[in-house]
Amino acid sequence: MLLATVRGAFAEAWANRQSFWLQVGAMAVNDLAWVAFWLLFFNRVANVRGWDVGRVLLLFAVLTTVAGVVLGVFANARRLGRLAAEGQLDAVLGLPVRPLPYLLLRRVEAANLGDVLFGGLLFAAAGAPSPQRVLLYVVGSIAGIVLLTGFLVTVGSLAFFGGNGEAGELGFHAILLLAGYPVDVFAGGMKLMLYTVLPAALVAAVPARLVDAFDVRAAGLLAGAAAIFALLGWATFTLGLRRYTSGAVWTRA
Amino acid sequence: MTARWVAVAVSTAVQRVSGDRGGMLVTLGFYVAVVGTLAALWAAAAEASGGSVAGYDAAALAWYIVASEAATVALNVRMIEGIGDDIGSGAIAVELLRPAPVLGLRMATEVGRALPRLAVCVAGGAVLGVATVGPPPSAAGALLAVPALVLAIACNIAAQHAFAGLAFWIRDATSAWYLYQKLVFIAGGMLIPVEVFPAALQAVVKALPFIAMSYVPARLLSGAVEPQLLVLQAFWLVVLCALAVAVFSAGQRRLQVVGG
Repeated sequence: MLLATVRGAFAEAWANRQSFWLQVGAMAVNDLAWVAFWLLFFNRVANVRGWDVGRVLLLFAVLTTVAGVVLGVFANARRLGRLAAEGQLDAVLGLPVRPLPYLLLRRVEAANLGDVLFGGLLFAAAGAPSPQRVLLYVVGSIAGIVLLTGFLVTVGSLAFFGGNGEAGELGFHAILLLAGYPVDVFAGGMKLMLYTVLPAALVAAVPARLVDAFDVRAAGLLAGAAAIFALLGWATFTLGLRRYTSGAVWTRA
Repeated sequence: MTARWVAVAVSTAVQRVSGDRGGMLVTLGFYVAVVGTLAALWAAAAEASGGSVAGYDAAALAWYIVASEAATVALNVRMIEGIGDDIGSGAIAVELLRPAPVLGLRMATEVGRALPRLAVCVAGGAVLGVATVGPPPSAAGALLAVPALVLAIACNIAAQHAFAGLAFWIRDATSAWYLYQKLVFIAGGMLIPVEVFPAALQAVVKALPFIAMSYVPARLLSGAVEPQLLVLQAFWLVVLCALAVAVFSAGQRRLQVVGG
């Protein structure tokens, strides 16, 4: 059933091929602009607290890969709050599937698949790929994907307990914004926050650092944090669903 | 008559946006997060470069970001996409029935929507700036930045309508939105002061209209007392309005041919 859901979601995104490629191309232009920004920045500033142009491009490759998979393949992860707040889950609850995996796989965003493609190409061009670095890039990206999905599900599920989904939207914008910058430019309480309640540093900066300099302790912490956020997302959604009130809206979610 | 519908469109939009407290709070929260992040990045860059980058010290860079982000965050981020959808779906045909020009009414409404958000962002940015790096480097520059922010928004709205008008021909302005947004980010100096660019690129960027949309108020608030920049903004506002009028006039004629 879940496999059929994934197939259906991809077929829907691929149905209009001209639009699909237009969206993928537009996202590539979007990502290229960020690369241009970092090249201009590091043309003037050689190194910022241990981050040079190579390491920041590696960070950006991991971020676009992670965000591309989460927002492209698990596209509903960022919409959960709105779906819950507006009572749009009825159609899912009537199906013989577990609601959370089905919801996450139900929708594919073509534009964000462009991010996945761009991330891979950027890593190939600027990440000095070797068998070991490719493995670390893939494994680190998977950890980032699990963590970001868990975080978005957690903040989105807060809508079951109150509000109209703003927490999910704010959490989404905040974590992606902060994940795109070298974590060491922040200090004190802000830096602590980026490793804990708003784990932006763990989405891309830590995996990128692991590709450059593997460290067992840091890898263990990343894996542990990913597992904790995955569990937190599942628990918040499951508990929240018990409080769900139908909006009598029959949508495809 | 013309002055009356412009005033009504602006004041109605101001009232509508001001009444949306939740939306204003989200705008402010997002603005503070962006300014805090970019100011931290540029402060680290200044520290790594011996105290200043391209003539801007850490305080000047922080105030630069306060203004450059206020001029862009205050705007409806999906404006081009929204206009494109209205054109592509034919919904804009209904607006042609009103006894007021479609473009003028839409632009006046967008200015009205942006003004309350601009006021909130500037207030939030001022508090953040004073608390972290002290007052703006120049009081005269700060005074000039106020009209520059309003002109920046007007230029941006006019340019977005000109870009979105492409939907009369291609029926979907989403890709135009992506391209436009990134031009403002980089060529407009929103993320990075134009002086940081290599000399050849600076010359190109300074000849483009995007600097009127973010760089000019940011440059003034960072301490530069250059009133001629306001004249440059006024020039680009006239050009961009004329361009938007030309695109919409041609597009509306085409829309009638298609049938709406």
